[in-house]
Amino acid sequence: MPDLIAKTMPFLRLPRPGPALAGAKLPGLVIALGSMLLIWHLGAMAVLPWIPAPADTAVEIWANLQSAEFWHDFRLTLARVLGAFALATLLGAAIGILIGLSERAEAFFQPLLALALAVPDPVYIIFAILAFGTGETAGFVALTVAVAPFVSNIVRSSVHARDRGLDEMARIYRLPRSAFLRESLLPQLVPALLTAARFSFALSWKLAVVVEAIGQPDGIGASIFESFRLLRMREVAATAIIFILAMQLLERGLLGRLEKRLLRWRA
Amino acid sequence: MSAPDTVLKVADLGVSYGAATAISRLDFEIRRGEFVAILGPSGCGKSSLLNAISGLMAPSRGRVVVDGDELYLPRSRDPRLGYVFQAHRLLPWRTVKQNLEIVLAASDVPRETWDARIDEILGILHIAQFRDSWPMRLSGGQRQRVSIARALLVDPSYILMDEPLSTLDEVTARSLRQELTGICQRTGATVVFVTHSIREAVYLADRILILTRGPSTIFEDYRVPIERPRDYDDARIAEVEADIIRRIQAPWGLGPAEERQSA
Ligand SMILES: Nc1ncnc2c1ncn2[C@@H]1O[C@H](COP(=O)(O)OP(=O)(O)O)[C@@H](O)[C@H]1O
Ligand SMILES: [Mg+2]
Repeated sequence: MPDLIAKTMPFLRLPRPGPALAGAKLPGLVIALGSMLLIWHLGAMAVLPWIPAPADTAVEIWANLQSAEFWHDFRLTLARVLGAFALATLLGAAIGILIGLSERAEAFFQPLLALALAVPDPVYIIFAILAFGTGETAGFVALTVAVAPFVSNIVRSSVHARDRGLDEMARIYRLPRSAFLRESLLPQLVPALLTAARFSFALSWKLAVVVEAIGQPDGIGASIFESFRLLRMREVAATAIIFILAMQLLERGLLGRLEKRLLRWRA
Repeated sequence: MSAPDTVLKVADLGVSYGAATAISRLDFEIRRGEFVAILGPSGCGKSSLLNAISGLMAPSRGRVVVDGDELYLPRSRDPRLGYVFQAHRLLPWRTVKQNLEIVLAASDVPRETWDARIDEILGILHIAQFRDSWPMRLSGGQRQRVSIARALLVDPSYILMDEPLSTLDEVTARSLRQELTGICQRTGATVVFVTHSIREAVYLADRILILTRGPSTIFEDYRVPIERPRDYDDARIAEVEADIIRRIQAPWGLGPAEERQSA
């Protein structure tokens, strides 16, 4: 194996784990990425010839980034992801707060939530497509139904774990219900809501791509599936990589910034 | 019959948690401007009493009358109260000023007067410079000052304080204790102050309601025979303290070794 590495990639030496690297973040990332590329490269060369080589894929990525068609699909999928993400998060959070505060609401929603969490996501997708056809509605509904229960669950636990002392404070000073929710409860839920949003976003974009692949004529998922059907693996890899990176950037950038802003009161 | 300046009247009050009785029977009245300390051993029902006279928890028996209105009748008027909790219970995601504004917004104080009112009250408590600070950036003593400011803000019928100094270090507690009497005189506030420190009660209060061990009744309604201004280290305070300790030894079940600790 080391021979093969030396032959195929003479510029790369296998990193030895040592104290100098331990704990350092950047070298770790470089090593992780490097080894992944290496394995990929080796796989493409020696083991599975139908895997596109990294270099070819890079060329394809570049081509994709210049293509209007790609950006059309990208924007379409992004809109679907953001729409479903927003609806699922808002709906899930609202239900989570409701059942966290009201035992009657909890008694009603709890079995539904448990059921919703037990159903595998593809089942929602298939049923939504059967019910609504291949339009926008099916994806929207399937994503919302698949994602919202997770958000509800996280938010509900956080409502239960709230500071009851602040509830008493709100009652003593007779804060109206709206002020209690806005000033006392919601801020306490922020960390849980951020976790829920992260989770919900990740689940949304992954499922959105699946929905497109199964039941929609356009979008990133459909384009990946089309390339796969035609066995154009380079296109599959290139499209997937761009999309995954974009979603990661969005999650870290947007949600990370939001988190900093919302939790700035912490000492 | 109540005196005309009675703000709080508690009659035949009992508080239970399910089958467990916390307060078996209390009767007392508090007049406007009085500083009343509630003194009792741990677990005797002091916090339960405050819950009952603040409207947080309906008593299992008896009546609570605030400014002539029955507290626990349906459709009775909610009294304006202040409450200084053991923990500050400020909203950490709101600045000092915002914390106070939230309380003002919930009352019927006209908005034009908010700023002046907030400035005045922060000035009285010597925390004007923290107006725009986050609570978590303040010290424990400063946070408790904000909490007292919040309680004073709405001109309450009375202010409840549940061991508000017990989590502070002794130096901070001392200075706040000293100021508290001045603040109350300046604002004319009526205060119900729960403590397990006998000296603190003697130093601060006009009257001390000494409770028995739980389930509690009133052991003694004790008027503190020392004129103001008082000095925390005054020998007379120590004398009164020693006198009270002598009396409660038997009913509180204190041994000679425990009594100093409890003080
Ligand atoms: N929420 C509750 N549920 C059941 N019992 C309680 C509750 N709160 C207080 N108690 C009991 O009531 C009694 C009085 O408690 P509390 O009023 O907190 O006493 P104190 O403030 O004097 O220490 C104690 O025996 C306590 O265990
Ligand atoms: Mg207590």
